[in-house]
Amino acid sequence: MSGEILEQLKARLLDLDMDGAVELAELVAGGDVRIADAVNAISEGLEVVGQRFQRGEWFLTELVYAGEIARETMDLLSPLMETASSGPLGTVVVGTVAGDLHDLGKDIFINYARSAGFKLIDLGVDVPAEGFVSAVKEHHPLALGMSCLLTTTDSEIGKVIEGLKRQNVRDKVKVIIGGAALTEQFAENAGADAFAPDAVTGTDIIRGWGAS
Amino acid sequence: MDFKERILTAINHEEPDRVPVMGLILDRATSDRVLGKKPADIGSMLSNPELRDEIKDYMNSSWNDMYYGSWADVLEAAIKLGFDANWTVYAFMQAVEDPESKLGLVLHDVFGRVWELGVDEDGNMMSSYVRGLCTTEEEWDAWVERKRPLYDKLIENVADYHKRLADNYGDRILPIGFAGSGVFENTWQPMGFVNFSKFVYQKPDFVEKVIDFQTDVYLKCLDAVMRSGVEVVLGGDDLSQKTGPFMHPELIERLFGDSYRRVSELVHKRNRKLIWHSCGNIYALLDKFVEWGFDGILTMEPTAGMDLGKVREQVGHKLVLVGNLDVSYLLVRGTQEEVEAAVKKAIRDAAKGGGYILSAAHSHRLVDPTRLKWMIEAAHKYGKYTS
Ligand code: B12
Repeated sequence: MSGEILEQLKARLLDLDMDGAVELAELVAGGDVRIADAVNAISEGLEVVGQRFQRGEWFLTELVYAGEIARETMDLLSPLMETASSGPLGTVVVGTVAGDLHDLGKDIFINYARSAGFKLIDLGVDVPAEGFVSAVKEHHPLALGMSCLLTTTDSEIGKVIEGLKRQNVRDKVKVIIGGAALTEQFAENAGADAFAPDAVTGTDIIRGWGAS
Repeated sequence: MDFKERILTAINHEEPDRVPVMGLILDRATSDRVLGKKPADIGSMLSNPELRDEIKDYMNSSWNDMYYGSWADVLEAAIKLGFDANWTVYAFMQAVEDPESKLGLVLHDVFGRVWELGVDEDGNMMSSYVRGLCTTEEEWDAWVERKRPLYDKLIENVADYHKRLADNYGDRILPIGFAGSGVFENTWQPMGFVNFSKFVYQKPDFVEKVIDFQTDVYLKCLDAVMRSGVEVVLGGDDLSQKTGPFMHPELIERLFGDSYRRVSELVHKRNRKLIWHSCGNIYALLDKFVEWGFDGILTMEPTAGMDLGKVREQVGHKLVLVGNLDVSYLLVRGTQEEVEAAVKKAIRDAAKGGGYILSAAHSHRLVDPTRLKWMIEAAHKYGKYTS
């Protein structure tokens, strides 16, 4: 019975059926299925979502909506989780660099990574270099994510990394960047740890850092 | 052959005397550099509350003249640089106080978008869409009801504005009249993309209602652009991002396909040609563009993996291709040799048999007039059709 509910929960997420998924999460919350198993089922579902997106079968609308369904169901389940061990996978601080107001990529990454189990601190758009550096000092995140879509603002990435070094926190945080104007090569030159072409890859990379 | 004949010949997939060159939304900073103009220091003026009020009142009472003035400068600069044609666009906005914003003032457009004002390093005022004011169906209904009288005004303004530009500049450059952001952007941006994605699944009737409304206004704007005498019109929606379309192409078809077909039909009924602008990686949409009846596409962003040769291979001469010169390096810091090499490659990849117009892939304030000039000169030098 509980196995069937878990399979169904995952299936409703993958059918993009919000009402169905929420109903099942409520059933889990009030019944005798282990909450941790339900949370796992949602995570497994999200992994499939990510694969479909990376294979080009699903697009941003599906990715966003699946993230929303995962968030709604997790909101019902997380308060019922018993142990601290099942808390967030780690903290990630994210923002769009100074001078750049593009926020879609950042928001979609935040939605997706949050639904995958990370704690996200959103600094917004047009974030000055000092803003990133002080957020790293304040929140001690596993990773700092910067979104940058413009050639006019790509020098900000280097400024932030310099700032992290000056404040002696560069070796305490992984830096990941993404956005239209950037490439893997750019990340390497600027001294970032990784470039992510999309939200799913970015989340996978950070998951890898968390595990090691 | 003059600029007009050159563009129209290329658009008909015939070879003109040489490959035509088109300018886009030249950034204010770029046009100022071409014209040797210095920006007024709007940033410090706006930090003074009294002046801010005055600026707001001025913007609201003189919007059309102010907007026209900055685009007249763009056309002057484009003519000076030697472009055969240039994009022209009108937007209808109102300055509104907003203590949360950086400069204390933002713009609201008639569709319910907020545009944040900023000042670049040279002191130029910039504006960019940052969020929507219609995050629920109720908010959207109320907004449209409140703004209803302004939509007729918008259409009147569009016609006047494009006519004024065409009358004053049409003998020196071909204005390619843009009908404003397209139905996709006008639908999602006032609600935000995350809300839009939710509504697509949860409130499809609402999404359809918005699309119908926006299509109706858009067709009227497009018709107003054509009434000004503009011969080539530009439509546009950023349907893609770096890795591919925002939405599944079939979902785009289901939601927006009819709307796009009606756009093409109207343009063709008026015996005009329709070029469509979309940023991002658009390979997956090329066949749709043909199906919807577009005559050409503009941008083909190299940073999103768009390669002119590949596009030509996929669509043949079913679409006129405009664009593709990189603005992340080439037209910002590239050497003259690099710019020339890129122009030669673009011509080799796409210009055979006509149907190609050379242009940058986008514009921003670091796009350098000298590099644009090199691009145009290279087109003159290497773009001659010999047959
Ligand atoms: C939509 C769009 C806009 C909208 C932005 C709306 C908004 N609120 O965000 C509007 C119309 C306002 C706009 C404005 C401008 N834009 Co714009 N825009 C785009 C466009 C078409 C799509 C960007 C987008 O939203 N994509 C959807 C999201 C989901 O994708 P994404 O941002 O790439 O993010 C994904 C990945 O990159 C990654 N990712 C992104 N960030 C991060 C961060 C981390 C940590 C991780 C892990 C992953 C990650 O994950 C995301 C999800 O998978 C791009 C084209 C492109 N190739 O991307 C041009 C583009 C970015 N814009 C461009 C330009 C030039 C501008 C303007 C300067 C235009 C102008 N002259 O005014 C202004 C700049 C305004 C400003 N100061 O910021 C150019 C930049 C060129 C360059 N080399 O600099 C582009 C590339 C278009 C082009 N043809 O060249 N733009």
